[in-house]
Amino acid sequence: MPEQLRSIIASAHEAARGAADAAALAVVESSFLGKKGALTLLLRELGSLSKEERPAFGKLVNDAKLALEALLDERRVAIEATALAAALEASDFDATEPGLEVPCGTLHPITQITHELVRVFEGLGFFWATGPEVEFEHYNFDALNIPASHPARDTQDTFWLSDGNLLRTHTSPVQVRAMQRFGAPLRVIAPGRCFRNEAVDATHEHTFYQMEGLMIDRDISIANLIHVMKTCLREILGREVRVRLRPGFFPFVEPGFELDVHDPFGTGADRWLELLPCGMVHPNVLRAGGLDPEAWTGFAFGLGLQRLVMIRYGITDIRDFTGGDLRFLEQFGRV
Amino acid sequence: MLLSLRWLARYVDLADIEATRLADDLTMTTAEVEGIETSGAALRDIVVGFVVECGKHPDADKLSLTKIDDGSGELLQVVCGAPNVAQGQKIAFCRVGVAVPIDGKKPKKGKIRGYESVGMICSSRELGLSDEHEGILVLDTDKAPGTPLTDVLPLSDTLIEIDNKSVTHRPDLWGHYGFARELAAMYRRPLRDALEGLKVALPTSGETVPVDVSGARGACARYCALVVQDVVVGPSPAWMQQLLVSVGARPRNNIVDLTNWLQFDLGQPTHAFDLGRLHGPRIDVRYAEPGSTMRTLDGEQRELGAFDLVICDAQGPVALAGIMGGEGSMVDERTTSVLLESANFDAVTVRRTSMRLGLRSDSSARFEKSLDPALAEVTAKKFIAMLAEVAPGARATGPLHDPTAWRYDEKHVHLRSPRVSALLGVPIDEASARGFLEPLGFSLREKGYESFDVAVPSWRATKDIAIEEDLVEEVGRCFRYDSIPPQAPRAEVQALVRDPELVLLEKLRMVCAYDLGMHEVYNYSFLDDALCARLGLEGEDYVEVTNAIASHLRRVRRDVLPSLLGSLADNMQRHDEVALFEVGMGYRPHRDIEGAMGEERQGQRLPFEVHQLVAVRARRSAAPPYARLRGDYEALLARLGIAVHEARLPTEAEARALPWMHPRRTALFLTKAGATLGYVGDLHPKTARALELDYSSRAGSVGGAAALCLDLRVALAAAHTDLRYEPVPKFPSQPVDLAFLVEEAVPVADLARLIVDANAKFVRRHKLFEVYRGPGLPAGKKSLNFRVELGSDKRTLNTEDEERYLDRVRVLCKERGFELRG
Repeated sequence: MPEQLRSIIASAHEAARGAADAAALAVVESSFLGKKGALTLLLRELGSLSKEERPAFGKLVNDAKLALEALLDERRVAIEATALAAALEASDFDATEPGLEVPCGTLHPITQITHELVRVFEGLGFFWATGPEVEFEHYNFDALNIPASHPARDTQDTFWLSDGNLLRTHTSPVQVRAMQRFGAPLRVIAPGRCFRNEAVDATHEHTFYQMEGLMIDRDISIANLIHVMKTCLREILGREVRVRLRPGFFPFVEPGFELDVHDPFGTGADRWLELLPCGMVHPNVLRAGGLDPEAWTGFAFGLGLQRLVMIRYGITDIRDFTGGDLRFLEQFGRV
Repeated sequence: MLLSLRWLARYVDLADIEATRLADDLTMTTAEVEGIETSGAALRDIVVGFVVECGKHPDADKLSLTKIDDGSGELLQVVCGAPNVAQGQKIAFCRVGVAVPIDGKKPKKGKIRGYESVGMICSSRELGLSDEHEGILVLDTDKAPGTPLTDVLPLSDTLIEIDNKSVTHRPDLWGHYGFARELAAMYRRPLRDALEGLKVALPTSGETVPVDVSGARGACARYCALVVQDVVVGPSPAWMQQLLVSVGARPRNNIVDLTNWLQFDLGQPTHAFDLGRLHGPRIDVRYAEPGSTMRTLDGEQRELGAFDLVICDAQGPVALAGIMGGEGSMVDERTTSVLLESANFDAVTVRRTSMRLGLRSDSSARFEKSLDPALAEVTAKKFIAMLAEVAPGARATGPLHDPTAWRYDEKHVHLRSPRVSALLGVPIDEASARGFLEPLGFSLREKGYESFDVAVPSWRATKDIAIEEDLVEEVGRCFRYDSIPPQAPRAEVQALVRDPELVLLEKLRMVCAYDLGMHEVYNYSFLDDALCARLGLEGEDYVEVTNAIASHLRRVRRDVLPSLLGSLADNMQRHDEVALFEVGMGYRPHRDIEGAMGEERQGQRLPFEVHQLVAVRARRSAAPPYARLRGDYEALLARLGIAVHEARLPTEAEARALPWMHPRRTALFLTKAGATLGYVGDLHPKTARALELDYSSRAGSVGGAAALCLDLRVALAAAHTDLRYEPVPKFPSQPVDLAFLVEEAVPVADLARLIVDANAKFVRRHKLFEVYRGPGLPAGKKSLNFRVELGSDKRTLNTEDEERYLDRVRVLCKERGFELRG
């Protein structure tokens, strides 16, 4: 029997070493260690041995079993490692193949600049207000110190409506509405849609977007206006800028200014860009808002949103904003 | 408006100041400069030529064959067509390859009627100096041939272009004299009088023409009339023509040129009538009779209305007051006597007529600004003073006649110096305030502590200086705003008043773009007739624009969706799948069916404004997009914490108001309060077809288009954005699948209710995961397959609990007539 055991061990070890994969190894395991495996059967024949021989032979067979199991384990690990190596090697993965497309939407660039400006001005204590786009003549003109005879009321600039109202020609009506509603002191911005009866081309639109700003308090001065404008422009443009204030005429402010920014986008151009009209709120406008001009002073400004966006992104045709063309809109997907 | 530095030099010495600095200083203190140009630049390469020989062209009667010495040492043969060319003349010569100033064309070496011609002899017109084109310009000079023309003629000038819009509030700045006054004040230099060095020869009595302004009812503050005899009409002096050309005017004849020159000089328009052609002669300034007509000197027949101010002679209108003269009385070569009008007309009246007739002139542009009536008299005097040079022999035969007897009623404004410092934000002492204001013509008289009585000069009193702030502006701009150091305002800390609608809207836009993957579109508020026609929106009640940009854009949109459908159709021409959204206002005339009213003010009412979020999806292939868009809607409502109280088909009336939606495949959502949140559904087949979005009705195709609308005010009222935390369940959920076999007509909501009714305590969540129709089911039936999660806060549920729940479901199914499958 020991010879028999030796030959079994030899052939088992040979079979185990020769097994190329997990399946072959399983076959080896069952043919030697399974219920009808050679070693199992040999152990059953223990009974035919003498009592003295049994313990020694039994130990031999058990040792052989343990050795074979260890060998099988070792082989299994090796085979798995080989299989894994092969699998890793055989991958059809292409690092350049793109993933499934996730549809990503976009906010309109005017919405984006509006949200951005609101954040900047909220930081300075201004709150966001709105007013109707279809407006009373009163708020659009009279309350803003634009009398009936003023050229700004001409039909060539204003869209008049069949019901006697008009499409607001600026966001400035919100100044008086906000004064009436909130009183003073007041810090408010009002972005929104405005209308002027103008022929459309690459740089002109009959529908445009403005942001009105208004600050009213005790003793507000031009020096304060310059400070606030410089501060907000630094925020909007992301860098320190040179500004200059020069005379400009708007009936609802006195004095009125044009604010120019030097090289607003840091391209190195030695150029002043006219960016926003502003001024000290006219006493008649304060009165229309229910405030006493002796007690309160303030400044107001207006910012053209399309213009800001056009300069920022290098957009050359203002008609793109209302064109609704995805090929334009899709470009503004960055957050 | 162009300012000539040569012209300004008549009144103030600025020769030592560079034009660029002048322009900068003007921009920073007075008016926006748009650019600086140098006239005469085009003339730099034109030279003096000498006509050495001049004979007839052998093959052309009207041409001459000349030999020109251009200083190059070589005689050039030049063919010339001018009748006045002659041997011995000095002429302006344009060499081959040099641009002719008027059109920039360069003469080439070539043959004219068989004879070589090298260069060109120029006329005044070709040089851009005047309109004279009858012959060549003959130079009166002893300069040698080859000398640049600019050394011979006083042609070089620097012109500063002023943006007219920046001086609409400054009637005093519509002539050179006004700018000279500004610049003299700015640089603290003496300003010469407008009449300095001129002799005004006005008789104190003599010939006058009767003038009656009573019919003008206050619209003619002043009318100075002057009779001039012995007029010989001819060209005006060269210097005057050159100045006129340099500021962009066309010289005509001496009388007209003088009136034009005065207009650019002092800013006061005047008009010269041919006195011989005035009937009466007399002048009535009055409003026109409605329906009367006159022919203006541009040859147009003008129909007049009751608000048009006209100048009439004994027979009728001879001029549109302040706008344009009439053809019948215009000055021409035959004129020998002139009636000069130097008047002041009301700004609003002039503007109204000029707008109505679409007739704007240099004159109307000035009267519209409210000119100073004092200027009328100064200008008339200057006219007479300059006549001696411009029309030798002509003379005034009577006094300056002004029936209005206008006198300047001096305007006074109270100025407190602390107020100046407070508004500017920089300390300004009284001496500096005085130093800025007095050179501009204001006179200051101390009146009480730290305050002044300021007398306003007549040229600033008509319009722009009326209140203290106006004077603060004068001081501020002279001090220069860019010298004011910025200073942070002092203000109380205030909590922001946040408008909840705006806060919500900002978030919803982000949900649409970043959660739901849609692109935001901005459409016009105007609804295009063509789109209306495609959508069948003809008979609706709209707010309309009375002066629309184009006749097809007169409607203001009632709803935002139709325009977005237009954007969808456009984009689907280029894409296979599109998802768009838009936020905007719709306007309903106040007599709208919903009974909602717009804001009211003094009997006037705004249209009712609806604030809508709308979205559309279309696909050319794959499943129709309704289910996806409905999912979008539910996601939006979930973000808002809005539970839809009722979802139903629109009633007939509701469907009529949404003609672009499918009347039977649109779900209308209502809140618990009964308000309509909005709708989502398929497009009406007619709309889909009109917009070419009807993919599923085409052979072998699927896909389609769907739309949704959310009323933001209703949504805001129904929103529950505050939420309360619920503990995460301690005991696991038990999933149960239920499949109900029901008639097609049974709504999902009925089964959803049944699922909850069966045990409201244990049903944690339920979800419809499939609607099955087709093989294996009886016709007209569908299978609604739900997954229900059962669970309890107190213990883990066991199979008995599940069995009890299923029993209860079976009982309810029996009661309600549904069949539970499997």
